[in-house]
Amino acid sequence: MAIYYFTNAGEPCTPFEETGEDLMKKGLAIKATVPDGIESWRLSYDTAAKAVVVYAEGKDEEGAIAQKATDAAAQLVTDKEKTDADTAARLES
Amino acid sequence: MSNLSKIFGSAGTTTDPRKEGMPLFGLWGAEGSGNTITNYRVFDSAFRDVGSPWGGATGTTSNYRFGILADASHAYTKEDHGSNLMANHTTETYSSYVNFQKSIYQIDQYPHCFMYSASRDGHVAWQSYHQFTSSYEYQVGWTKINQVLPEGCRPRRMFCNRRYSMREKSGNNSLASIDHYDYSSHLLNTDNDYCSSTGYNEKNKMLVMVHSGNESDSSAKTVHIFKSSKDLNSIVRIKEFFDNLEWTEYFTDSWSTQNNKDWVTVVGNNCWVGFGSKNSNSKKYCAFDCNQKGVGVDLTGASRRYLDWQNFAGSTTTSYGASSGHQYYTRFNTTWDGTWGLIFSPYYYYGCGINAFAMSLENPRKFISINQTRTDYPNPYVAWNRTGFHGGSAANTDGESWQTYSFSFDPTDSDHTVDTKVFMGSTSGDSTMPDNNSHVGGSFTNKTGNCSLANSYTQLTGGYYSTCYPVMMGINWWGQYGAADQSYGGK
Repeated sequence: MAIYYFTNAGEPCTPFEETGEDLMKKGLAIKATVPDGIESWRLSYDTAAKAVVVYAEGKDEEGAIAQKATDAAAQLVTDKEKTDADTAARLES
Repeated sequence: MSNLSKIFGSAGTTTDPRKEGMPLFGLWGAEGSGNTITNYRVFDSAFRDVGSPWGGATGTTSNYRFGILADASHAYTKEDHGSNLMANHTTETYSSYVNFQKSIYQIDQYPHCFMYSASRDGHVAWQSYHQFTSSYEYQVGWTKINQVLPEGCRPRRMFCNRRYSMREKSGNNSLASIDHYDYSSHLLNTDNDYCSSTGYNEKNKMLVMVHSGNESDSSAKTVHIFKSSKDLNSIVRIKEFFDNLEWTEYFTDSWSTQNNKDWVTVVGNNCWVGFGSKNSNSKKYCAFDCNQKGVGVDLTGASRRYLDWQNFAGSTTTSYGASSGHQYYTRFNTTWDGTWGLIFSPYYYYGCGINAFAMSLENPRKFISINQTRTDYPNPYVAWNRTGFHGGSAANTDGESWQTYSFSFDPTDSDHTVDTKVFMGSTSGDSTMPDNNSHVGGSFTNKTGNCSLANSYTQLTGGYYSTCYPVMMGINWWGQYGAADQSYGGK
């Protein structure tokens, strides 16, 4: 486990203690413990649940990238469906 | 700084013809496949539409190729640039030009862009769809010198430095050089013969170049400082700059980095010089005193260095630099007023997010880290307003006002002993103009501070298109200073 600092929006901010503690004093960072060996792009902090979230938890970096590609492709399909529905609704109105 | 640009008149009242109005940016929006609904607008720093209509399209398949994009010499597929602009940089590599459209690499301080050019009047043209690996920016863009210029000026001449030769090129093309000069006779030390970075400060007429043991990962460095009485941007031939040297000094040092093409040299107005480089997934930066010391004095980096090297203080993850391909070299950009600079590269893999050092161009000892950790649908950052930048996001235009990440600096803030104040925007309501007396943004400790960017509503779009992810584009001419833009506040 390691210390990581997140922004108040829950995005990765810094792994460095000097920088992170300084930001915390200014109210600009949240300190949390994160699992080892996970690249920062997969980390976020749920400010409501006050917990670290790991994207594609249980997968290695290659698996997480593959998951991201799969999720992106699915999102594109969802986006297209929504665009089509919104456009149809506008044409009917 | 504004006075520096008034260099062409006996009474000091004539504006430098290079001086542009405050930055413009282009915004290309296309529905899904891009066949049927496409629009491109040019906005000024106040987000007023200043472009001109240039083509039309309707919602029928008969208009796949419309307006001037129908030119067969530039059309790529029947969809032209449609779906190719939708790349979200999740897994894309450098195998195709389409993966660079929205990359942070597209825009640096030079008026032309990496893969396209876009005019003030609203015309976009891509450089090449087939030969990108042979293109100038793709292959040797890292040889461009980084320039610190007067307010409102971008480099209008392009000097490149490799081995012991400076050449003047005409822009983002592979045509013949305009000039070539071998400056080796002016060097005081030839231990290293691969030039890997060069910076120029027009106020000081000072050229600083870094030579390495090779163009890959050699740590051996020789840094030369050339002070001339001639402005490099005003001479006819490069030789004139070197023929009029007032003094030359050098120092040697050992600077490790993953690839020497990533080095960026920033010559400050106070003759301190910042050197920065992407280094693996991180980045490193240090400022050195390049004021005149005297013959044989301070010949080592340690004798001129401000404190020690600083690693990037923000979040990092896997990201590409020059070691992964020439085109991923570390970039440099400046604010419109020429008071702050950025040494930057992406946070994530091929072009998303930003990892940057921002430094005062008055005093490069004053610097902080800038960080944004986006991992999809990126956009490049463009200079914006007097002393800031915005960009970084290509979120779709479904339902809410479109956002970018924006940040500004105080142009008078150059004291490296005090925190750096960064101004940021907001996303709604009272926070747009806060109902309190608090600073919006943050103050960051010099050297070790990290500023994580927040997004801001632009109020530009907010339609129904879940499949429209607008592309931000750099504009090659922001318009003559003061001619038609009323944003200057009487300056």
